[in-house]
Amino acid sequence: MSDPHRSQLLQSIGNAVDADALRSLRDHVNARMAAVLSELPVEQFYTELNEYYDALIRRSIALAEADLARAGMGFPPVPYAYILFGSGGRGEQTLSSDQDSGLVYDDGSSPEEAEAYRHYFAELSKQIVILLERLGFPRCEGNVLSDHPEWGMSLAQWVEQLNGWFDEPAWESVRQLLIVADGRCVYGADDLVARLRDTFNHDMLKHPVIVQRMLDNTMRHKVLIGVFGQLLKEQYGEDAGSLDMKYGAYIPMVNAIRLLAIRQDIRSTSTLKRMAELREAGILTESEAESYERAFRLFLKLRLMATEKQEMGMYANNGKLTVRKLTRDMIAELKEGLRVGQRLQRRVFKQASGRFR
Amino acid sequence: MVKKLLLSVSALLMLFPAMAFAADEGPSTSMLNMGLNSLWIVVAFVLVLLMQGGFILLETGSTRMKNAGHVAGKTIFTVGLCTLIYWAFGYGIFNGGADISDGLRKFIGWGDFFFSPTNSAGEGDAFPITTFFLFQLAFATISLSIAWGGFAERAKLSVYLVFTVLFSIIIYPVIAHWIWGGGWLAQDGAQDYAGSTVVHLTGALAAMAGTILLKPRIGKFNKDGSSNEILGHNQVFSALSVLLLWVGWFGFNAGSALSVGDGFFGFVAFNTMLGAGAGTVAALLISWAVSGKADISTTLNGALAGLVAITASCAFVDPWAAVVIGLVAGVLVFFSAKLFEKLRIDDPIYALSVHGAAGVWGTLANGIFATDELATKVNVGRGGLIDTGSWHQLWVQFESVVVCGAYVLVVSFIVLGIMKVVMGLRVTEEQEIIGLDLSEHGTYGYPEQMKKAQNNIQA
Repeated sequence: MSDPHRSQLLQSIGNAVDADALRSLRDHVNARMAAVLSELPVEQFYTELNEYYDALIRRSIALAEADLARAGMGFPPVPYAYILFGSGGRGEQTLSSDQDSGLVYDDGSSPEEAEAYRHYFAELSKQIVILLERLGFPRCEGNVLSDHPEWGMSLAQWVEQLNGWFDEPAWESVRQLLIVADGRCVYGADDLVARLRDTFNHDMLKHPVIVQRMLDNTMRHKVLIGVFGQLLKEQYGEDAGSLDMKYGAYIPMVNAIRLLAIRQDIRSTSTLKRMAELREAGILTESEAESYERAFRLFLKLRLMATEKQEMGMYANNGKLTVRKLTRDMIAELKEGLRVGQRLQRRVFKQASGRFR
Repeated sequence: MVKKLLLSVSALLMLFPAMAFAADEGPSTSMLNMGLNSLWIVVAFVLVLLMQGGFILLETGSTRMKNAGHVAGKTIFTVGLCTLIYWAFGYGIFNGGADISDGLRKFIGWGDFFFSPTNSAGEGDAFPITTFFLFQLAFATISLSIAWGGFAERAKLSVYLVFTVLFSIIIYPVIAHWIWGGGWLAQDGAQDYAGSTVVHLTGALAAMAGTILLKPRIGKFNKDGSSNEILGHNQVFSALSVLLLWVGWFGFNAGSALSVGDGFFGFVAFNTMLGAGAGTVAALLISWAVSGKADISTTLNGALAGLVAITASCAFVDPWAAVVIGLVAGVLVFFSAKLFEKLRIDDPIYALSVHGAAGVWGTLANGIFATDELATKVNVGRGGLIDTGSWHQLWVQFESVVVCGAYVLVVSFIVLGIMKVVMGLRVTEEQEIIGLDLSEHGTYGYPEQMKKAQNNIQA
């Protein structure tokens, strides 16, 4: 927080009075971050950007609460937590990430209370999602959103849902579990999220075979490097000649590290933090961790260079990187990174399928 | 029971001496030989004709629903038209028996127009000329159907009509005469057993002239030079087409022996099978290795490329070489398709790569892999580079590819160029978008589906 501009901007976000003010602050954040993109070290960039976005989300939630109060619905009846999933949960949002969110609130003691809470938080999350859309954060296409009944519910319901997913690990449920694993409390009662996480880990111990299912669920996204060490670029369409950085580099690594972390009960959600903790736990050797971290930082950086576009006021991004934009050295570095990513993916695959089958 | 048995045995005994007696006046060995040959040639003709079914499925499967009826129907129509034109003129240019100067005969045949053959084989003939005509005709229709690959999804129906006539007179028969009809390349000893050059390269280069003059389909290429994948509407059709063609190819290659004789056609079929298998495997593996996904279209193309390549060489090479030729063809077809896309030449059903690139390779492969023993047996040319150490045959093969290629390309460009000026080649943009089924024939090949799609657009 030594940067005066930074704390000032965070303060303005914290004091914004309405959606319009927040939207212009978001635009300001994006412009500022885009300008310093090439100067800042990549980790610092992500830290700063996610700090701003967290602040924007927190302020949006506060404004939504106030809106509801003005509309006569009162204030939150019980403690609740607003959870970010996906890249938000991992603290790895780019300039154009979408919303992936959930909500958990304390249980009511009677059915009437429960119904009243459900009603309030359904309304609140609806407001929040709409507000964030106005800030240019598009809705998650897969509907992982706090205003969806599956992702916004009371703690007891959440626990029941998690147990259900573990008991019946169909493809869809396993996918949900992987999403939950990246959940991070951005606003509200942190301990609610911690208790969700306790349930998650308890269930993991009861169902060790699920690791294999989780692996099956994520192996679809392969690192995009061919047997000749060539980049596997898009062949057709507008993005021909570009590389799918998101699904061909970044996501495979996130998936592999997440899987290792889940098995070690590592609760950090950031991929780099997970790597550090895996190293401390002795799962990764020094040199492994170092090369994975280097590759992942590169992916984080290149992911920021992927084609950006504004669509109907939303910040959007298709995750595709035009390879022509890269210098020869960068391409060599990227290939090396992809090879490291592929090695990690194979290692995780072997471990999970060998030991836990 | 016993009675019945006795009765039939005695009846057979009565018959047997009669049969033994009949054998004395029966067919001579040469007549039996002729009969067997003609039976095989007619079977081969039927197999090659059936390959049109393969082309129908290949072309429809690889193109979009809105053109399906047109694509399928026009193949049948052009086979019909080609039959008449080839009978009236084409066969005469290929193999006419009129007395013309040797100089002229080097380049074209003459006579036997509106071919009127004798109705049975003459004394000492290996087969009746009728069977030979049918077999040759089937080849002409195959070459023509290959050419249509370059016209797919945007040429006017009238273009199919006019070009069928011209192709069946001045393009295909001329090349066939040069290599198979005793023309100048035949005299040089050019080896093209069943037509890698004569049939496949000829068709492919006509397709190339067509697709270049027609310009790419709407939506194939973007302004920035990248290309879009226009997926065919039915991959199962495409796969079935390959199987159908593969089966038909045994008529195509093994039938080209034109005789049963000592069973050499079995060896030809054997090599053909090896080449096709190798092409398929190589294509799948190379697409997998290079693009990270095992591509089905490429695999199918690989099977066909293996077949196209082995067509010239199936009678001239040892089995191991057939495998090598097929493998190379499978890899070649993958990169060739990429190259044409880079050059921004729209090749809707990969005719240029499958029949062109692989046709060239197959023809040249003779110059490398042909063995002297087999060349002597077939009595065309000599052994290739590996067997004899001599570059002679490779040079002859190279010459035949270049000369035939140049002739077909130039004449096709001239013919289609004139047609473009006089009558226009391409349907209007609107017709292309609604589909040729509707614009050229007034009804869709898939009426229910297409009506639904149309309603959705209007809604």
